[in-house]
Amino acid sequence: MSSGAKRGLGWALGALLLIVLGWWGWQRFRPYAFHGTVLQSAEPAPDFTLMSADGPVSLSDFRGRIVMLYFGYTFCPDVCPTTLFEVQKTMELLGEDADQVQLIMISVDPLRDTPERLKEYVQYFHPSFIGVTGSEDEIAQVATQYGIYYEKHEGTPATGYLVDHTATLTVVDRKGYVKLIFPYGTPAEDMAADLKYLIEH
Amino acid sequence: MTRRNLWIGLAVAVLAALSLTACQKAQGPQIEITDAWGRPSPKVATAGAFYMTIRNTGTEDDALIGADSDACGVVELHESFKTPEGAMGMRPVQGGKIVIPAGETVELKMGGLHIMCIDKQVDFTPGTKVRLVLHFEKSGDIPLEVEIRQPMK
Repeated sequence: MSSGAKRGLGWALGALLLIVLGWWGWQRFRPYAFHGTVLQSAEPAPDFTLMSADGPVSLSDFRGRIVMLYFGYTFCPDVCPTTLFEVQKTMELLGEDADQVQLIMISVDPLRDTPERLKEYVQYFHPSFIGVTGSEDEIAQVATQYGIYYEKHEGTPATGYLVDHTATLTVVDRKGYVKLIFPYGTPAEDMAADLKYLIEH
Repeated sequence: MTRRNLWIGLAVAVLAALSLTACQKAQGPQIEITDAWGRPSPKVATAGAFYMTIRNTGTEDDALIGADSDACGVVELHESFKTPEGAMGMRPVQGGKIVIPAGETVELKMGGLHIMCIDKQVDFTPGTKVRLVLHFEKSGDIPLEVEIRQPMK
């Protein structure tokens, strides 16, 4: 082999090594891209205390764990169960890490949803899920603080009134800051990946 | 009547009957329902939902105007949708019916059109089979059995 050819080979190998190293470094150190919408909260998430069938529940009870807040109502037969089923699957995907995540469903129908009713409803999806409610004023205050829109409108004689509501999931990190929003329809795989990252970092 | 005339008469009758059924098939709506399922829900949830694919292979539009089931106090046709505020809402379907245009397929699915079972009379546990009768504007009643199962992706 001529010295020119040898040098050429050396360059080629060097370039290849650089590419491989660069790729490894990028994979290893690139910033994690969340699937959910990331929020940079300057203030901790507003604390609240609402009533569950097993007593009062405050957001601050769960400092050190990740909390997912969902605003919904038990009469809702389509959107709410679709979302809660997706969170159930997320918990399954998280495996052992699932105990680091607490779902709290806050009723936007305090007139019809009792704490007992909410408990039976949410635990159908996962035994760890908690359902809370309060007075109309208390619910309105919490919803406003979290930017949740909800409004009653007339249904049919059989349904009674129905409630339009923001159907996102709000993720509060372990330090108590709102970190992520999962829009309606976010797949369980995406939510599990984001939550796993938050648990590990 | 000769034997031959009898045969000809029979042939004509058969042909007439065939063309008549062919005409009936070619005209009017033709409804096919596939993938009917119901979502499992806790006893305390008074409302449940059924989903399915409705196809009209006929030449005329039809519409689903209602349904009945022994498993439900009342059955209504509803639709989930995104409100202008970005929230999710649910309403009875507009005009009280779901139009199934000729040659088209309409999907009743999660987060969209669904058949709502209000005041459930039985537990919607996976594996349960529920009898449902769909009422169509032109095709009349179509009975079917709907299985309660977990949503599939």
